[in-house]
Amino acid sequence: MPVLLCIGLSHKQVPIAVREQLAVSAEDLPRRLARLRAMPAVREAMLLSTCNRIEVFAVADARTAADDVLRDLGPLAAEHALIRVEEEALLHLFRVAASLDSMVIGEAQIQGQVKEAHERAQEAGASGAALARVVSAALSAAKRVRTETAIARGAVSISSVAVQMAHKVLGDPSGRAVLLIGAGEMAQLAARELHAGGASELLVANRSAATAEALAKEVGGIAVGLAELPALLERVDVVLCSTAAQQPLVTRDLVGRASKVRRFRPLFFIDLAVPRNVDPAVNQLENVYVYDLDDLERVAAQNRDLREQEVQRAEAIVREEIVAYARAKQERAAVPVLARLRAQAQALADAEVTRTLALLGPLSERQQRSVRSMAAAIVNKLLHRPTARLRGEQGGPLADAAAELFGLQDGGDPGAPEREDPPGAASGEPPAASRHPQAGTGADVLPLTGRK
Amino acid sequence: MATILVHIALVAYAAAAAAYLSWLVRPRERLVSAGRALLFAGLLLHLTSFAAAASLSHGEGLARAGFGSDAWKGGQLFSLLAAATVAGYLALDLRYRLPVAGAFVAPVTVAVMVPAHLVHSGTRAIAPELTHSSALAVHVFSAAAGTAALALAFALSLLYLASEKQLKSKHPGRLFARLPSLELIDRVGWQLSVWGFVFLSVAIATGSLASHEASGSAFPIAPKQGFAVLAWALLAGLIQARLVAGWRGRRLALLVVAGFLLLIGTYAGLLAAPQHAPAAAAALLAPGRG
Repeated sequence: MPVLLCIGLSHKQVPIAVREQLAVSAEDLPRRLARLRAMPAVREAMLLSTCNRIEVFAVADARTAADDVLRDLGPLAAEHALIRVEEEALLHLFRVAASLDSMVIGEAQIQGQVKEAHERAQEAGASGAALARVVSAALSAAKRVRTETAIARGAVSISSVAVQMAHKVLGDPSGRAVLLIGAGEMAQLAARELHAGGASELLVANRSAATAEALAKEVGGIAVGLAELPALLERVDVVLCSTAAQQPLVTRDLVGRASKVRRFRPLFFIDLAVPRNVDPAVNQLENVYVYDLDDLERVAAQNRDLREQEVQRAEAIVREEIVAYARAKQERAAVPVLARLRAQAQALADAEVTRTLALLGPLSERQQRSVRSMAAAIVNKLLHRPTARLRGEQGGPLADAAAELFGLQDGGDPGAPEREDPPGAASGEPPAASRHPQAGTGADVLPLTGRK
Repeated sequence: MATILVHIALVAYAAAAAAYLSWLVRPRERLVSAGRALLFAGLLLHLTSFAAAASLSHGEGLARAGFGSDAWKGGQLFSLLAAATVAGYLALDLRYRLPVAGAFVAPVTVAVMVPAHLVHSGTRAIAPELTHSSALAVHVFSAAAGTAALALAFALSLLYLASEKQLKSKHPGRLFARLPSLELIDRVGWQLSVWGFVFLSVAIATGSLASHEASGSAFPIAPKQGFAVLAWALLAGLIQARLVAGWRGRRLALLVVAGFLLLIGTYAGLLAAPQHAPAAAAALLAPGRG
């Protein structure tokens, strides 16, 4: 019976200093996958290497294959890595894809990273039908988690919160002008994000014209003089400040005057400087909003709390999806039993018809048809109820019982009706599945029969 | 037949309200889709009920659609207002996707419809001079459209004030993520206010005309008329402030809230008017007879 294994480590086991030594580059990935393919007990495998984890998900003939994989990961990994088997590995894959095991719960990238890791494994011929089904189920669970819970809602980094708040005030950033004052890294990040989101103009101001020019070039904006600040406040919609000035650059009077000229159009200040560049009293003006570092951090913390509160609901969805996956597996398992049962019964009927026709001597065409019809009708009527029950119960213990009762294990290829050509076959590359007689036949990985 | 249709529509509105309110707790897209579909189905049934009532009145004038032959009930008036508000919301949602406004409109529709249809309200006669009056027909429907537009602007203004408070205090609440941007709420609220003002102007003008037809007085002195004129004047001031002084945001939202409350006063005045008073009307500002 093939088993699903997960061997690896994540940010929960080791610090970044260890993870960065183990990270697998995109260039190195095909070679590492080829090594996994070459392991005799490993049928299918994929390698997920991100900044937070390096994990191998494998379908293997036996759990002892985990030791081979562990050795392949190297002594440093072996020291810290965890081995998860079957249900534990399945649950882990679902949780990873749903971003429940991420450093920042609900982060969006992991779903794409799992998908990409599997695609690379398919390209390398290391993944076949069984792993494809597990990954696909994990990704669909992840999608449900993202759409049905608030786990991914609310930004959790300072720059993202700043951008999110700007969106809340100004709506679509298209056509908006953004002013970046100072060269702080977070402010640059937020400015870039707003610019990428559609802001039409990114103006960069600095005390030094040369610095402004250099920064403008770096972020794809236009350099302007800081002396023009009063006029700039009349036309821009978002101001990002991160200078080292010891006194506020933006005062209530300055913004109040600009506000009248701009006919009270909303103005959003993101003050990432310490000490602050924007006088907090500016926030009291109508249609003017000021968020400093503490405010942004408070919102980020609130969003993190909100995500944590959603974890339970997300975990419930993951459990539901695992049960659905197990049920689908049972359904697939029932189909070959039915097909074999029917084929066996039909073969018996055909043999009996041939024997009977031979005994009866010469019969007309119509009489022969009647005998054949009668045999077929008996087969259909006898198998009607078992067929309905097997389909209705979606396989499981009944399918196993039917196989046992009618001796179906010995007849034919159990996986034949489900055979799927793993990707890579078309390219001439021998797929991983082809190295093992049963791999890629749809025989699933986990003995989850009966779990509902 | 018309009553049964309205009751089914009410059930659909209630289900839509449940879907939208559930969405506030659990942000599932299918809840919004269900709410939208139920509101639409409810509106179709609701409009069909008006058509059924109109056919029963033997087609004797648009103003009598849903109002019986020569009398009207307060419930029927509020039913028309609810249908107009739901129609306005669905049009708005189609353009701007505002499920959070749906979470306000659907329950309010139910809250208006339940007493309107399940609680008995007295019949008021329509002045015989007005049973075929085009002025009354235009008056009733422009008043309904204007009220619907201002009800939606009122809902958006409340949303704006709530959202702005959270942004200013820098303490976003649990529903913050579901709220649209301030810019969108302000823009749509402004557009609705302008439409509300235009329809209200038409309603007042045609109401005055109908009043003149019925009683010879274009501006009878009554609380209803007073509130309507005050609401109109406030909306005119709001438009002036926006266009000339550039007012927007919180100030405008507060003005819309005040304007809508004055309009509510108009309807309260309409329903409170004594049946025998010459100014008792078939609809907003239209005179009736006791």
